[in-house]
Amino acid sequence: MKYFALAGNPNCGKTTLFNSLTGSTAHVGNWPGVTVDKRDGVYKKCAEPISIVDLPGIYSLSPYTPEEVIARNYILDEKPDCVINIVDATNLERNLYLTTQILEMDVPVVIALNMMDVLDKAGDKLDEKELEKRLGVPVVKISALKEVGLADLMNKAYNECKKKREGTTVLSDSALAHLIGDVKIALKGNGVANPLFHAVKLVEGDEIEVGMHKDVVGMVDEFKKTFDDEVFGGDFEALVADGRYKYISKHFAPVLKKHSEGAQVITKSDKADKVLTHKIWGIPIFIVIMFFIFHFTFSENLFYLNGFTESQAWMPSLEDLGYNMDNFGVKLLACIYDGTLYSPGVVINNVWNNIIVGELFGLIQGAIGGSGAAPWVVGLINDGIIEGIGAVLSFLPPILVLFLFFSILEDSGYMARIAFILDRMFRKFGLSGRSFLPMIMGFGCSVPAMINTRTLADEKERTATIRVIPFFSCGAKLPILTAVSGAIVAYFGIGDAGIITFCMYLLGIVTAIVTVLLMRNTSLKGETPPFIMELPAYHAPQFKNLMAHLWDKTKHFVKKAFTIILLSTVLIWVLTHFSFDWRLLADEEINESILAGIAKLVQPLFTPLGFGSQLGKYGWVFAVAAVAGLIAKENVIATFSTLAACLVAAVNIDFGGLDIMAEEGVDAVQAMIIATGITPAALIAFIAFNMTTIPCFAAVGTAKAELQDKKRFNGTLIFWILSSYIVAAMVYTIGSWWWTLFIWLVVIAAVVAYIVLKNKGKLVFKFPVKKDGKKALTVQTCATCEGCEHEGECSSAKKEEENE
Amino acid sequence: MPLVMAPEGKSVRVIKILTDDKLKKHLESLGITVDSEVTVLSSSGGSVICLVKDGRLALDKNMAMKILVA
Repeated sequence: MKYFALAGNPNCGKTTLFNSLTGSTAHVGNWPGVTVDKRDGVYKKCAEPISIVDLPGIYSLSPYTPEEVIARNYILDEKPDCVINIVDATNLERNLYLTTQILEMDVPVVIALNMMDVLDKAGDKLDEKELEKRLGVPVVKISALKEVGLADLMNKAYNECKKKREGTTVLSDSALAHLIGDVKIALKGNGVANPLFHAVKLVEGDEIEVGMHKDVVGMVDEFKKTFDDEVFGGDFEALVADGRYKYISKHFAPVLKKHSEGAQVITKSDKADKVLTHKIWGIPIFIVIMFFIFHFTFSENLFYLNGFTESQAWMPSLEDLGYNMDNFGVKLLACIYDGTLYSPGVVINNVWNNIIVGELFGLIQGAIGGSGAAPWVVGLINDGIIEGIGAVLSFLPPILVLFLFFSILEDSGYMARIAFILDRMFRKFGLSGRSFLPMIMGFGCSVPAMINTRTLADEKERTATIRVIPFFSCGAKLPILTAVSGAIVAYFGIGDAGIITFCMYLLGIVTAIVTVLLMRNTSLKGETPPFIMELPAYHAPQFKNLMAHLWDKTKHFVKKAFTIILLSTVLIWVLTHFSFDWRLLADEEINESILAGIAKLVQPLFTPLGFGSQLGKYGWVFAVAAVAGLIAKENVIATFSTLAACLVAAVNIDFGGLDIMAEEGVDAVQAMIIATGITPAALIAFIAFNMTTIPCFAAVGTAKAELQDKKRFNGTLIFWILSSYIVAAMVYTIGSWWWTLFIWLVVIAAVVAYIVLKNKGKLVFKFPVKKDGKKALTVQTCATCEGCEHEGECSSAKKEEENE
Repeated sequence: MPLVMAPEGKSVRVIKILTDDKLKKHLESLGITVDSEVTVLSSSGGSVICLVKDGRLALDKNMAMKILVA
């Protein structure tokens, strides 16, 4: 099998090409830095199967960010049979800068000129035969998106990979040519592979290279002493970069004939940017867009047509209009309009839950109930598995709709602009706008978001970002939000579910901001990293990409529902239906179960947060849900459904015909409210706790891998526990007793004052601590060491040893 | 003058880059080298979007202060 690597600048279309070649659905977006890890696939349409490796985008082979290191190391160490260098034809000169570096290696190279369709549209002409002649390697015009020229590209690459190629450089006319030649010979003598490439990097003074070839560095330093350039002085690195660009603009750039030669073209993208990145309007426009995204996903009152408050409502329900609610057509209509006009997200949700899942699961439950199986089997399947998984699956529509909107923002190129306009604000918290992109990915799932932090060059900024990513409430936390806030509205009649959900998202963001500020002023102090980002041209979102994103998300979600969540629900059902002496319990006996026994031990821990001991006999259910959520956040709602089914049987209260299965866990939560008497403040605290605490197993594992440093990882776990505990306690106490707000304010003021004073050096604490961490002993001499707790550690002990 | 103060829509030439080596190298690979041409397309509160070669780069104010142009 042959190995081909795809290399090129960020956002030049590598992953699009990769997907087209291998039939994969890897995530594609219109901003630089979507791909942060290498991935491989197989191309089968050549004489033999070819393994294709998609690499993160790089601007040069001298890496700046962690993900650039991955790309560089792959090309150098893994020695692919051919490098396919993708060049964005709409930004030819800058892209060829990387090409000139790749050509210095002894590896077969084929150039894929991508985005030719965009170039053709603009009326520009590119002579690829001429470019091929000047570069000395094959050049193929392609359009990765429209799948044009791919077969031609792969055939050429396959031909090339059988030939040997020796590195060539564009620096042979430069003042450094002699030095490069000498260093190359020296390296070759040492048996170094790719001598030309390493020679040039060594002359540039590349950190990694200088460390690798210490014996040859002297040569460069010697030369440097005798050399002086009028513009660059002894800065070889700048001299080399300048040499490359000069050569490119002289020899390569002329192959491109622009339609509008000379004149500065202000494109449509630039015009859009004037508005969307405006100094004053940029942020308000962004907020309005975000509001509409949430409105279209969650609102049960589209555009507020039905008035802003309950009393203004004027739309009649279908029942009022005299429709027969049992008719299937009317049921369908009710998904779109029933006393209020639903937003698209809610319509999809209604169709899914009322028509597809509701009916289907009802049928299955009916069939199993009537099958005559043992009662515990029926209970396990109907109340345990189907209730739990059904509750989780019912959330698929809002997650997908929200994700679709984010994908549109991402694919259009607007995301990169938001990073830019938010940079000024982020700077005040000690982060660059670049960290916004992984954060917003966190709304989808924390795992890829944490991996994406590799685009951040600064280690401390990266750590801080990884820590706050879970606060950007992911798709799996959405069910907790909607179910609990739905129950608050339905049972207590307070507020509006959409607004509560939105506010909880906001709470997460505020927590992120506050904790970032805190970290950047205490444990992760450092200069705010610079913001340098390429802004891609806007383009209409690609239907194919959007669908691929949604399909990926659905697959991931369904897979999780039927693996880890299925297992957890079975475990929880078993634990709630067996007592410690392994006796099968009926639903009513839930309080004697193993789970209840364990949970009651943990329950007091949650008392300050409002869902602990004060909830009485059945209050432990919330503790169980919160702990189950540490495995996967979907578990919270699955646990609710399973436990609510038991509670209804156990508590002798009228539940007023609540349908535990229906409406996404809202009724399940209501049953729990009735059984435990939990207050709205405690419910909000419960959401807040789940949002800001240790995320799921998968995210914890990712954080561990990405942080690498074990101490940092442990710090992160403690950070999550502390922040969730404090935030939830704050929500609960202020929500229950408003005057505690002042106590919190005093505490916050004290902490802020302490940090500010300490950072200014006004507060100095002297602990009697030695450098090795042991407490310094003030006792200098004693009569004897015997019986002393510091025996053998103090100075007199050492004296004794010396005397002996 | 620093890039922050460069007039919008007019091509200017980079004369000096006042950052550390690592950052300078990154800027170079993005196309901002001494002697190269840069056009500021728009600026908002000190942050700038500029045209470098055929690409658009966004830079924060601090960064734009450290690139001297004429």
